[in-house]
Amino acid sequence: MLADTTGSWTPVALSADLPAGTVNPARIATESIALWRSDSGRVAASADRCPHRGMRLSHGFVRGEAISCIYHGWSYAQAGNCLRIPAHPGLVPPETIRVVTHAVEEADGVIWVAFGTPASIPPKLDGFVPLRSLTILAMTAQIEAAAGAVANSEGLIESGTIRLLLSTQHEGETLVHVLVKDDADVATRITASRTAENLRRTAEDLQGKGSVQ
Amino acid sequence: MTMQAMIDEWYPVGLISQLDAGGRRTALMGEPILVASDIDGKAKVTGGNGRILPVRLRYGHVWSSLGDPKNELFPIPEADQPGRRFVDVGVVRVRCSPLRAVENFLDIAHFPFVHTDILGAEPHTEVQNYKVEIREDVDEVWATQVKFYQPQAAKSASGGITTEYMYRVPAPTCSVLYKTCPPRPSEWDVITLFVQPLAEDICDVWPWMALFDDETSLTDLIHFQQTIFLQDRSILENQIPRLLPLDPGMEIPTRADLTSIAYRRWLKRHNYTYGAQLVAQ
Repeated sequence: MLADTTGSWTPVALSADLPAGTVNPARIATESIALWRSDSGRVAASADRCPHRGMRLSHGFVRGEAISCIYHGWSYAQAGNCLRIPAHPGLVPPETIRVVTHAVEEADGVIWVAFGTPASIPPKLDGFVPLRSLTILAMTAQIEAAAGAVANSEGLIESGTIRLLLSTQHEGETLVHVLVKDDADVATRITASRTAENLRRTAEDLQGKGSVQ
Repeated sequence: MTMQAMIDEWYPVGLISQLDAGGRRTALMGEPILVASDIDGKAKVTGGNGRILPVRLRYGHVWSSLGDPKNELFPIPEADQPGRRFVDVGVVRVRCSPLRAVENFLDIAHFPFVHTDILGAEPHTEVQNYKVEIREDVDEVWATQVKFYQPQAAKSASGGITTEYMYRVPAPTCSVLYKTCPPRPSEWDVITLFVQPLAEDICDVWPWMALFDDETSLTDLIHFQQTIFLQDRSILENQIPRLLPLDPGMEIPTRADLTSIAYRRWLKRHNYTYGAQLVAQ
C-alpha cells in the first residue's frame, strides 16, 4: 500500500477476476466496498451499502453502466448518484440520494482503489504481470518471514522470481496478488503458483504459532 | 438497548404440534428457555433461573413472555373461521434484528428483485399509493389498499394477477398479512410472520397461514413459503447495520416505504427498541 499524506492506493483485485457486467466485494483499509465493472468495461468502486435500506451493494447486479441493489433495484451511476428507483418509475431521484464512491485506477492487470485522496498514481509493476490472487490467513509480518523478504513502501515483496503485492484485509487476513515476469512461460507460471501456495502454508503456520504463544 | 417495553410482550417460542416432554431448548431475548410439555401434557415454559413463564397456545404456536404481559395475545379472528386450512410452516433462523425481519415482511417493493417470477417481476416494479395508519383504538399499524402485480401470488394461483394486500402489526415482532385469495375472491388468505427474538441480532421466524386452499398438498404449501423466506434471509443477513436504525438520517425511505415509516414511528413511540439502533454509529 503506497501511503502519502492525503491517501493511499490499495490493490483490491486483478482485472481478470472482474469481468464486464459483474460486481464483487472488496476491502480498502477497514471499509467494505462494492467493486464493479460496467458492460462497457469501466471499473467503479462504491461503499458496500445501499443508502435506502442498508443492503450490501456487492450482492447487487450490473446492467449497462449502472449498479443496482438486489433488494429494491435502486441503481447508481459510477459517480454514485442514484439513477432509478423502480418502485417509482416516473420519479427522477434527487441528487441527495447517492452512494459514497472511491477513485479507481486500472493498470497492468491490477485494479487499485484510493482510500482518501492520494496525490500520486498507483505504483508501476516494472515488467511484471499478475498471475493470481490468494487470501492468506496471516499478517504482513508472517508473510514477510515466509517470503524471506520485507515489503517495500508500496507493499511489494520481492521473493526469488516472483513478486507479491499485499493488501491487508480484516481479522488477520491478507490478500496477496502474485506477480511474475511478463515473459514467463507456462512452466515458470505453474512453479510460481506452487511457490505462492507453499508460502501461504508457511505464513499461516507462523501465524498459528504466534497466536498460541 | 432497552428491554423494558418489549419484555412484557408475547413471543412465539415453538410449535404446539412439536411439544414433547423432552422439550425444546431455545432462547428469548438473550435468556435460555425450555419449552416442553409437563406430565399432564400441558405446555410449560421455563426461564433461565428455573422460573415458570406465562404460556399461551394459539395460532399453531406456543407463546411466552419474560415479563408480565398486560395485554392478552392479539386476536386473529380468521383463526376461528370454518373452512380455513391452518399451516405451520416451521422455522427459519435469521441472523438479523427481529425488527428488520418484520420490516422486510411489510415491504412489497422488493418482490421483483428478491422473489423474482414468484411474487413480482420486472417491469412490474411500480408501487402504487396505498393507505397507512396507526389505529389508535387497537394500537396497531395498518396498511391497506396495497396492490401489486404478481406472476405467481400463491401456490393456488395460475398465471399473473394483481394481488391486493393488507398488513397489520399488532405486536412489535409480529405481523399479519391479508392477501387476495385466488380460489375465493370474497375472502382473504391470512399469512402471518411471528418472530421470536433470540437476541437483538438473531431471531427465529415462524410463518403461519390460514388459507382457503383444499387443492395444494401440505408439502407444496410449506415449500412455497420456505422458498420465499429463504430468499428474504439472503437480504436480511446482509443489511448494515444488523439492528434496525431508528435514526432518520441513517436510511432513505420513499413513498413506497410508508408502512415501514409508520412501523418505525410506532416502535419509537412505545420504546420498542430491542433490536433497534437509536443513534447512527
